[in-house]
Amino acid sequence: MNQLIQSLVDALSAGATLGLAALAIGLVFGVIRLANFAQGEIITASGYSIIFTWQLGWYVAIPIAILIGVILSLLMELGVFSRMRTATPATLLVASFGLSFLLQRVYELLFSNNVQTAPVASELAQSVDVGGIRIQLLSVATIVIAGVILVALIQFLNKSIWGLQLQAAAADFRTARLVGIPASRVIGLSFALSGILAAAVAFVSTVQTGAVGPTFGVPIVILALIGAVIGGIDKIYGALAGGFLVGFATSMLASWLPSDMSNFRDAYVFLLVIIVLIIRPSGLLVRGGTVRT
Amino acid sequence: MPSGDLGLVVRGLSVAYAGVPAVRGVDLDVPAGHAIGLIGPNGAGKSSTLLAIMGAIPHQGTVEVNGADVDGLAPEKVVRRGISLVPEGRHVFTALSVKDNLRLGAVGRRSQEGAADTLDYVLGLFPILAEFRDRPAGLLSGGQQQQLAIGRALMADPDILMLDEPSLGLSPTAVDTVFDALATIRSAGKAVLVVEQRAEFTVAFCERTYVLHDGTITVTLKPEDASNVDVLTKAYFG
Repeated sequence: MNQLIQSLVDALSAGATLGLAALAIGLVFGVIRLANFAQGEIITASGYSIIFTWQLGWYVAIPIAILIGVILSLLMELGVFSRMRTATPATLLVASFGLSFLLQRVYELLFSNNVQTAPVASELAQSVDVGGIRIQLLSVATIVIAGVILVALIQFLNKSIWGLQLQAAAADFRTARLVGIPASRVIGLSFALSGILAAAVAFVSTVQTGAVGPTFGVPIVILALIGAVIGGIDKIYGALAGGFLVGFATSMLASWLPSDMSNFRDAYVFLLVIIVLIIRPSGLLVRGGTVRT
Repeated sequence: MPSGDLGLVVRGLSVAYAGVPAVRGVDLDVPAGHAIGLIGPNGAGKSSTLLAIMGAIPHQGTVEVNGADVDGLAPEKVVRRGISLVPEGRHVFTALSVKDNLRLGAVGRRSQEGAADTLDYVLGLFPILAEFRDRPAGLLSGGQQQQLAIGRALMADPDILMLDEPSLGLSPTAVDTVFDALATIRSAGKAVLVVEQRAEFTVAFCERTYVLHDGTITVTLKPEDASNVDVLTKAYFG
């Protein structure tokens, strides 16, 4: 019972983290049809920032990580993607791959190939007793952080005029422009929000590992992309839910697969993804489940 | 703006897709307080004409709104110069509420001052939108969505309102509601450019109706031509 509850809490925590990462991808994809693989390098940059500034206090490290996430995200848009407005989604994806590899090499040059470490929020790396059941504090903290960010983001998207513009652009970019919504504003907003979400994911992941290397964000963004696709990448909330599902399933498989099979955990996840995409190619949460034309 | 002033003036408008001409040198005049029709068979270039005027597709020629050249501006900037388009198929934001769709329409206003008055005007024109203001737009009927699409366009307080096939897929009652509203909008001094497939109805409603064939205006019809089947048939089918 104890193990089941702990694994459920861990799975919720992993799902929440990947949900945030997938939401960042879905926000940008919805507006400019870019599945930004280089989102992983924004997570890495914020992660490095947390490692290097944590000694100054969380109230300094976290705002700086957010600032770096937002600035790098906006620089990607201004420096690369804004110059490719007429490119197809496939071309944009390839460009984001290139950007991702380029930034990984830059991180190697700047910080070496070795991981950089710091005891980030080490007080969270302990268990607490809840009704006789031991639960990792970090898992609970991750769920709370992700929950607060999600509630704030949903409020922003649904209540503020800027959030509504972003939703409108994500749903139908051409009509949004014909209504008078400025393209540059919503594109910039989507990249800025994805930078904030990258910083949040970086914080949670850095607390878990205490170490950041040049490819720190890559495994996160791969799973987040998969989650976004199976949830429905062109629906903001579909991407969020898909990311959550993949994170949840991955964590549960890690907890419950027999030890001799646990090395194949990712293979099971990808098999599940293939089955989902065969049955519902537009994503689990997109009505009709047909291919977008 | 007094009736008779030229709200929208289009000269030599041409559009091509992959080198294939879709609109060839179209001239249009849409004065304030007038409804002007643009009819023609499928593929004649009607929707392309409206999208080119909005700056949404590459084109040649000039587009003037209230005497100011809007050529080369992005669609969102064209809206701020006083021209709004109700697109074919309505394209309301289905996941958002009626109220939020109307809020978004006001983003394109030249000034936010008076937005509340415009909202009152829109809700007076289409009372059903007030009744369903918190309902997701995707749950509205086709006719209600068309009212919302027009209301959203009006929220930008345009001098010129363009509509692409506003009667498409609507019941006769819903069509009457839409065109009654268009008559009210016209009488308020706004210029209305309506693209339609329903020739007789459009010719009767508009002060002047252009017939578009293969991207070229071939005939200009007056309301009295609406009852002349021979003239309409010849104009429409050549």
